[in-house]
Amino acid sequence: MQQIAVYETNTVVMRKLAYVWRIAFLLFFLVMKVSAQDITVTGNVSDLEKGSPLESVSIRVVGKSTATKTDARGNFTIKAAKGQVLLITSLGYETQRVGVKDDQKMIVRLKAESSELEDVVVVAMDQKRKPRELGYSTQQVKGAELQETQRDNFVNSLQGRVAGLTVNPTSGTVGASSQIVLRGFNSLSLSNQPLFVVDGVIMDNSSFDETSDGGRSVGLASDRPNRGSDYTNRISDLNPNDIENVTVLKGPEATALYGSQASSGAIVITTRKAKTSKLAVQYDNSFRVQVLNRFPPMFDGYTNGTNNQPSNIFRYFGPAYPSGTRLYDNIGAFFRNGKSQTHNLGVDFGIKKSIFRFSASYLKQEGVVPNNDQEKINLSLRNTTKIGKWIEITPSIAYTRTNTAKVLRSAGGYLIGLMQFPNTVDVSKFEDDGGNKLPLFSANANAEVDNPLWNVQNNRGRDQTDRLFTSLGINLNPTSWLSITGRFGYDTYKTIGYQNYHPQSFFVTTALRGSQDNFWNTYKGYNHTINATAKKTFGDFSVRAMAGTMWQDYRTEVYAVSGNNVADPNRTDSNNTAPNTRVRLLRNNYGEPNLRVIRQIAYFGELALSYKNLLFFNYSHRFESASTLPAANRNYNYPGLSLSAIMTDILPGLKKGGVLNYWKLRGSMANTARLNSAYSTQSVFVNNFGSANGPAYSYGFTNNNADLKPERQSTYEIGTEFKFFKNRLSVDATYYNTLTKGQIVENFRLSYATGFVLNTQNAASTRNEGVEIAIDYQVTQKKDFGWNVRLNFNKMWNAVVAFPPNVSEFYISDTWLYGNARASILGVGSPTTGIASYGYARNNAGQILINPSTGLPSSDNVFKLRGDRNPAFSLGIQNSFRYKNWRLSFLWDLKIGGDIFNATK
Amino acid sequence: MKKSYINIKSIVSLAIAGLLFSSCQKKLDEAFPNPNATVRVPVETLLPGIISNMGGSSAAAGSAYGTQNDGLYIGRYVQFWATNTAGNAFDQLAGAGVPGTNVDLFGSIWAMHYFGMGQNLKRMMDWAAEEKKWNYVGVGQAISAWSWLTTAEMYGDIIVREAFNPDQLVFKYDEQSLVYDTVRQICRTAITYLNNTSDNSTQSNLAIGDAYFFNGDVNKWKKFVYAVMARSFHHLSNKASYNADSVIFYGNLAMNSNADNAVMRFANTGITGTSNFFGPVRNNVNALRQTEYIANLMTGLNSRFPGAVDPRAAYIIRENPNGTYKGIRPNLGASGLPVADQPANFWGSVFTSTAAPTSDADCRYIFKNGSPFPIITASEIKFMIAEAQYRKGNKAAARAAYIDGIRLNFDMLINDYGSAVPSARAITITDRDNYLANPTVVPAANDLTLSHIMLQKYIALYGHGIQETWTDLRRFHYTDIEAGQTTPVYADFVVPTGINLYINNNGKLPYRARPRFNSEYLYNVAELNRLGALALDYHTVEQWFSKP
Repeated sequence: MQQIAVYETNTVVMRKLAYVWRIAFLLFFLVMKVSAQDITVTGNVSDLEKGSPLESVSIRVVGKSTATKTDARGNFTIKAAKGQVLLITSLGYETQRVGVKDDQKMIVRLKAESSELEDVVVVAMDQKRKPRELGYSTQQVKGAELQETQRDNFVNSLQGRVAGLTVNPTSGTVGASSQIVLRGFNSLSLSNQPLFVVDGVIMDNSSFDETSDGGRSVGLASDRPNRGSDYTNRISDLNPNDIENVTVLKGPEATALYGSQASSGAIVITTRKAKTSKLAVQYDNSFRVQVLNRFPPMFDGYTNGTNNQPSNIFRYFGPAYPSGTRLYDNIGAFFRNGKSQTHNLGVDFGIKKSIFRFSASYLKQEGVVPNNDQEKINLSLRNTTKIGKWIEITPSIAYTRTNTAKVLRSAGGYLIGLMQFPNTVDVSKFEDDGGNKLPLFSANANAEVDNPLWNVQNNRGRDQTDRLFTSLGINLNPTSWLSITGRFGYDTYKTIGYQNYHPQSFFVTTALRGSQDNFWNTYKGYNHTINATAKKTFGDFSVRAMAGTMWQDYRTEVYAVSGNNVADPNRTDSNNTAPNTRVRLLRNNYGEPNLRVIRQIAYFGELALSYKNLLFFNYSHRFESASTLPAANRNYNYPGLSLSAIMTDILPGLKKGGVLNYWKLRGSMANTARLNSAYSTQSVFVNNFGSANGPAYSYGFTNNNADLKPERQSTYEIGTEFKFFKNRLSVDATYYNTLTKGQIVENFRLSYATGFVLNTQNAASTRNEGVEIAIDYQVTQKKDFGWNVRLNFNKMWNAVVAFPPNVSEFYISDTWLYGNARASILGVGSPTTGIASYGYARNNAGQILINPSTGLPSSDNVFKLRGDRNPAFSLGIQNSFRYKNWRLSFLWDLKIGGDIFNATK
Repeated sequence: MKKSYINIKSIVSLAIAGLLFSSCQKKLDEAFPNPNATVRVPVETLLPGIISNMGGSSAAAGSAYGTQNDGLYIGRYVQFWATNTAGNAFDQLAGAGVPGTNVDLFGSIWAMHYFGMGQNLKRMMDWAAEEKKWNYVGVGQAISAWSWLTTAEMYGDIIVREAFNPDQLVFKYDEQSLVYDTVRQICRTAITYLNNTSDNSTQSNLAIGDAYFFNGDVNKWKKFVYAVMARSFHHLSNKASYNADSVIFYGNLAMNSNADNAVMRFANTGITGTSNFFGPVRNNVNALRQTEYIANLMTGLNSRFPGAVDPRAAYIIRENPNGTYKGIRPNLGASGLPVADQPANFWGSVFTSTAAPTSDADCRYIFKNGSPFPIITASEIKFMIAEAQYRKGNKAAARAAYIDGIRLNFDMLINDYGSAVPSARAITITDRDNYLANPTVVPAANDLTLSHIMLQKYIALYGHGIQETWTDLRRFHYTDIEAGQTTPVYADFVVPTGINLYINNNGKLPYRARPRFNSEYLYNVAELNRLGALALDYHTVEQWFSKP
């Protein structure tokens, strides 16, 4: 067919190129410290055994309120007088007291408190927990690790670092959106993406939707499937340089406390706060060049045509090129070297008990595809203020501007065009002196596949987003046993964008004379979480009880207009189209934006019991009400339960011999709900043309089910953690099993006895299981040199366990991109990650039928299950080397098995 | 003192908590409704679509649901018309929607009832009740009763108990007998609501919704309900439990004059939706031609009415180039008629023409764009009463009702369907009375037969009472002979046989239609299997209602 045999879409090709063959140059790294003139003590805190620096160690002057924390390199600076004593504390380490002698650098080595090394884990609600008490698996990624990868969309840098976490970037272009999925796909119709929580506040990660359901929802006025232009997932607005730490809550525990929004897990992000009230300025930058150098093998050597006959089509089954035919390196001519530069500035400063961190970043990128550029500015200011003895407030404000010049993707994209383009023609000659598209075979420019270079220059898209993310944290600790915390967040952004098709493009007809979409998308999200925790110890038992409430209110407003007959292909404003061709979203016709408002209130409680710090039991319950559901089904609740046992403490004999030093068994189970999309419970009326005095209406075909209930998901997970050889080797293994019942399946046909033709129902069930193993091995750990290997293994199984037997195939139409392949569910027993497509027609003997007139195989024109996207397993291998202050780490991300549809073959 | 202070404090906190909670719930309620599209419309704007759906719908979500679309095919079964070319499967009494065919023919009533009426009717009644527009609730029940009965008699066993549950995947079929009980129950409820003229149940408000039906007159709606009630009793004439008194009782309460007729009217603004399904704009009857059977009834060639030339011919059927009335026989195209004897099509063009005329000036009767289309007429009711009285042995009362039935039909034609009838052939009152005075048509009470009643009813329902006529024919198994008579009730009615009868009928006549293919044969197959509806001759299985 095409000259080149490449994988499904540009996605895979570009991603691999971007992942593996990116050459990064870190030109210089500078840390500059400006200290005040007072008497200061500087020092460094490290692990006694390993020598590795310790971060976030609390340094406090005994008897005074002066305090600070160590930075990522273990360094600290504090004001103190000679003779005073510094109290150095860190969770998991024995506390040390060090007297201040002179102003020389103080070197502190902390000894691990017990045989196990314990970090604290930030879990739901911005709460910190010791890992030993957690009945579920969590994995953490340090912010520094993410920053070192230099990804503009930090989500991409999580790939391979967390077992069971899969990132699927839609393409390798600059500003491309990335899908992030924890522990595979559970829901058939609804979102499988985790919730993003930043400092205890929910941050929106949605992508703009091109579909507007006939102008009824928030999308483009041209109401098209999401196949033309890509819109980034908005969590990429978060500055990677502001991330201190990422905790990935993969399973039931996320939902137990975050509720239905986190039914696909949660990514809990803690931002960097000021370490000291001293003025400290950090600046770093990076420059990166991206060179594509690995391309898929291609079928080449034949002229345009079929069946060995030359013809003017974009297929290359004609006669072989005559010797001496000049062939051009069109791929080389198309791609350019990608360049990017990043500048990060961080300033810590403070006034007494109020400390601030200001950060600013500037990112400019030029992608490997011409006309694909991005510019991004991040500014943020975060404050921590202590008021009196028991009040702490942490307000923050972050501003982001992202401006991305985009190119079309998928079937209308440059990559298919590039693959189809004949090598006998120089791709770089794409327009004549008058700026017209140069024809290949046809006098009608619209009838001919767009030259990829012409495509990226003339079918243009751009969007600009201004985002403000503000949060306020309040911690009250009025007594030793009671703490009250509040997290309040307001997140808003406005995206202005356009996408146009040049009048001469292949993707519009001549009569249309070009088309253009403009949109204005505004998001306003408010949420808060308030909870109170009480702790009490009774002998060997300790009890922690927590109760809280959460309120969420998200509003999306869209104005969109689409029109044809563009006046000037170079203009991009919405007046560019002919007024009589313009289509707007329904409410836009009345001067108001189309809306999507989702609100939810929740109440929750948690009871934690522990016995001798070696057995932990946790029960939580959450009650929710959501506006997307009718009043009758609006209130739902679900429990969560977890258990953790430290076997090495229960049976201390296990530790004999010095091999095993820590063994934990854990298990948890939880139920949760997944909400329907807004307004999917309400069938809408359409015009009825029958005789009437005045307007008349009747229901549309679709049953937006008024009785819809949330999807119900129940998960259990069991796991174990081993640590050997004084923590040098640790193994964490988890098995999980998720059953999602009453899945909401949209737009499928049933008997008209439902009262409708197309239906939305709680109709299917799926089961998703998996095994995750994380192994961490410190091969060498010396003072000056360290080598650490980390493996993240993941294997998943999934299957549809209940599906309406009368529905033979259900698919999400947005996945039906090219070559008649789509993500489909084909009844009970089929995978949730199946690919259905047309296949070759075969005779009864199973032989492929060839069409004699074209010489090509005939299609059977039947959608059948042809593949499964779920890999056999995936493995992330991360090696980190440390030599003195130098660090080198690299990551292999392997996906073994799993099918990719090649639509070009 | 201290104690009371705590109490006040806790009361205040509880009150604040309560306020917060209720304000949250209120904010959830506010965010629930879809702000971008209409999820609730005035009940007045729902009724027009529901009514237009009784004949042949037209909406952004689906068109041509209703009795008229299926009537195109049932009309062939009852020989109101046949196809202008030979070899039409439905002329041969074939069924449609056989597994594997993917056609929805004969499924328009199914779609009308379950989708077109379906949730629209339900919502209209729910919202009207909320708004205390009791007349809209009553009208909804009235149409619902009519729709259930019409649907059940089309398909036999249908989904009743589990119907309209949008949460269900597959639906069980109920016995047809259940429908008759259901219909009567709905009728009684309908009357209760229609009797309630309190609150917002005004005539002027109802007239917004049914402007093109009864124009807000609840008394007419009540008569419509009684008519459905009468039908529900009368259609069980073959059963031992048949109750003629109930038919007569409800028949007398139903429409008595043409002014009370239940008639769909059309705004006729030149677009599909406001036009009669049989008019040229909608272009549906282009291949249909009047049959020999109706032509013979009109021209005195039927053995029941020998020599009785019926002046209604010029109204309900078409002349041929010779100026006479002839018709074709099913499955035989022009049936060997010389060109000059071939009847014009229903739009007044020559026999062979299948093009819809741009003007309906030459169209007559129910075949004009704006012609009213009867759903139930007073005339039909009279024939029902006549048959019931006859079966009771009250021949004099039967004769009186029989005469009323014929007269009412004459009057309806004279008043409403005179357009494009040649003036020389316009019916006068004298013509009507002369016809009624003809003893061949109206014999003495003792000479009256079921055949008289059924054939005059056949004429009175010609073209519009298609489903009702099929029900009648099925009650008489097409060719039944009344006890003591020698000719069949439907005298001279020739059912196709041999090569003119569709092969899958296995020599049998049609008694039911298959449920809509794209609804049932794809998504409810298990139940169809249980019913035997996958059999190729399922459409020939006699329904419960016509069995003894």
